[in-house]
Amino acid sequence: MKQYDLLIVDDEQRFADMLAKRLSLRGCHCDVCYNGQQALDLVRCKKFFLILLDLRLPDIYGIEVLKQIKKISVMTPVVILTAHGTEEDRRTCMQQGAYAFWHKPLVIDELMAILAQIGEMPV
Amino acid sequence: MIERLRQIFGAIWPVFYRQDNDRLNPYFTFTDYRQIWTVVISVLIANALVPLLAITIIHYQLIQKSVDSELIFRTERLVSNARRAMTFFLEERLDALRFSVNEIGYDQLTNPNHLTVILRNLKLGFGGLTDLSVIDPTGIQVAYAGPFKLEGKNYSNQIWFIECQKRNIYVSEIFRGYRDLPHIIIAVKSIRPDGTAFFLRATLETERLIQTLSSHETGAHADIFLVNRSGIIQTPSKHHGNIFEKMMLPLPSFSPRTQAVMATDEQGQSIITGYAFITTQIADTPFILMVIKQKAGMMGVWLELHSNINWFVGFSIMVVILVVTITCTLMVNKLYQADRDKAETMAVMEQNNQLASIGELAAGVAHEINNPLALINETAGYVKDLFAINEQYHKDKELIEYIDYILEAVERCGTITKQLLGFARKFDVNIQMVNLKEMILDVLNFHNKEAEYRNITVQVDVPQDNLEIKTDRGKLQQILLNLVNNAFQAVDKGCCLNIHASYNGTDKVGITISDNGCGMPQDNLSKIFEPFFTTKERGKGTGLGLAITYGLVKKLNGDISVESKENEGTTFTITLPTRIHEEVTEDEGSIGR
Repeated sequence: MKQYDLLIVDDEQRFADMLAKRLSLRGCHCDVCYNGQQALDLVRCKKFFLILLDLRLPDIYGIEVLKQIKKISVMTPVVILTAHGTEEDRRTCMQQGAYAFWHKPLVIDELMAILAQIGEMPV
Repeated sequence: MIERLRQIFGAIWPVFYRQDNDRLNPYFTFTDYRQIWTVVISVLIANALVPLLAITIIHYQLIQKSVDSELIFRTERLVSNARRAMTFFLEERLDALRFSVNEIGYDQLTNPNHLTVILRNLKLGFGGLTDLSVIDPTGIQVAYAGPFKLEGKNYSNQIWFIECQKRNIYVSEIFRGYRDLPHIIIAVKSIRPDGTAFFLRATLETERLIQTLSSHETGAHADIFLVNRSGIIQTPSKHHGNIFEKMMLPLPSFSPRTQAVMATDEQGQSIITGYAFITTQIADTPFILMVIKQKAGMMGVWLELHSNINWFVGFSIMVVILVVTITCTLMVNKLYQADRDKAETMAVMEQNNQLASIGELAAGVAHEINNPLALINETAGYVKDLFAINEQYHKDKELIEYIDYILEAVERCGTITKQLLGFARKFDVNIQMVNLKEMILDVLNFHNKEAEYRNITVQVDVPQDNLEIKTDRGKLQQILLNLVNNAFQAVDKGCCLNIHASYNGTDKVGITISDNGCGMPQDNLSKIFEPFFTTKERGKGTGLGLAITYGLVKKLNGDISVESKENEGTTFTITLPTRIHEEVTEDEGSIGR
């Protein structure tokens, strides 16, 4: 199985850790951070295959983090994963270049399908 | 015709008497339109009619006053003329008698032949005399000329003789006497050269007197006659009694002048009574001249004018009332309609606000639940992953099954939270062509068993098999599910549920879901789309079902209405566009998941 470098950004620490473990079992390498600043620092020094980003982060709002990520690495796909995103959030995120806008709880098979889909894309 | 009558009736009978606004009352600016309408009409009508009526009454009184004074004036003139004629009639004959007695002397007068010549000459000169006689101081008639055999009659006890001895000249009342014919006696006293007195007496026919009076009668409404001082009628009267009977009207009090007054007769009708006490220059008489005029008969012209004025005033009042009523009804109706439109808007706004609040609440709850749910999901998923890797647990199908239970429960919870969010937002939108008949049958599939069990007859009436609309499938399904659920809860065993769908114009479809269940009281109808309104037992209904349905119908650019009668059933009618609005379509179609 192809090794994917993923970044999980979510202030729900247990959720993020658990998701990282599940993805590790599926052959992914996951970095986990619990706030926006950490995420941006990581994106600056490392290239990720895909980033899972929550909207409600304790320091920076998710949409702002998305904008910054797109400035640093425009080609990195970002999937928004939120417990409650408004319609306006969804529209803004899609306009800012998010790959998808999902609501929790996550269906892991759908994520794996996306990873496979992105992996097959010509770079 | 009926429509036209309805329009005419509608112009004067305001719309707010025909509409029930209990639902909208809290939002009206003015609360009592019936009172406003009544007060405005009353004030305007009073304002227009009071001056009109006042002028009419004043005019009526003025005319009546002037007519009364004119009638009195005319009556006085008539009485005055008749009185002069009467006075002249009597004076003329008294003067002739006095001249004869003084000029001719006792000796010649007592000569029967000479007396007959004198009578003939007097008849020729004045007329109206029947006979002449000479009476000595003892009351014995000593000479007589005339048609009766009255020589030697003794008049010493007769009133006229006694009175004439006192006054020298005497005019009697009309009486029948020895000859049993109505007549008047006039007598003159004279003194012979030897100092003894004698009397010349003449009898007057009453016919001439009556003719003289009759010549002054003007029209059928006037009655002229003589009465004596005791009120006994002396000459024939048309309306007020027979001759020699007591007059039915009260006797007027003495006045030296001609008088006319307003009065009422014995039948209560208005009359004008004119009278004069007749006295000659040489002697008093017992006669009172009476002129009675019927006021009603005299006022024909005035009454006609009065009637015309009454018609004109009546017509004016009707026009004023009609114009004021129509104008006020139009104005107050406009005001009411504007206020009602505003109230409708405010009611819808409040309902929308309530729905929005519920939406926010639901969204908040969904958010708070989604996070722990996501953790459960990932944890259970991870455990399942571990079991799948670990050979020991991999073979334990039971354990894997338990984990699947957890994951299934999480999935169900996820669906519920998404539906909750769907109340406020537009998730899971799926705009597509929907075959209404198929969808209705799909929805009813959920209830097949319940319908069989409860013996409920479900009839689907969709005339066109290919009745399709472009809309949000999920929302429409939820709307139909909610309404069918609602109907199933409302009906008892053996009842009937009817679902009908058809085109409503070219760009709309109508769906009606009707049952013959318990129905709802009218008071509840206005509230059933309000959130948290429920008639179910505590804990059995949230009061959100129909509120959510209302919100969903509105999101599909549709309308929903309800009609219900207690113990007869309820009908929900949904109207939806055949193609949902483009803006909504684009909006919803771009959602990522």
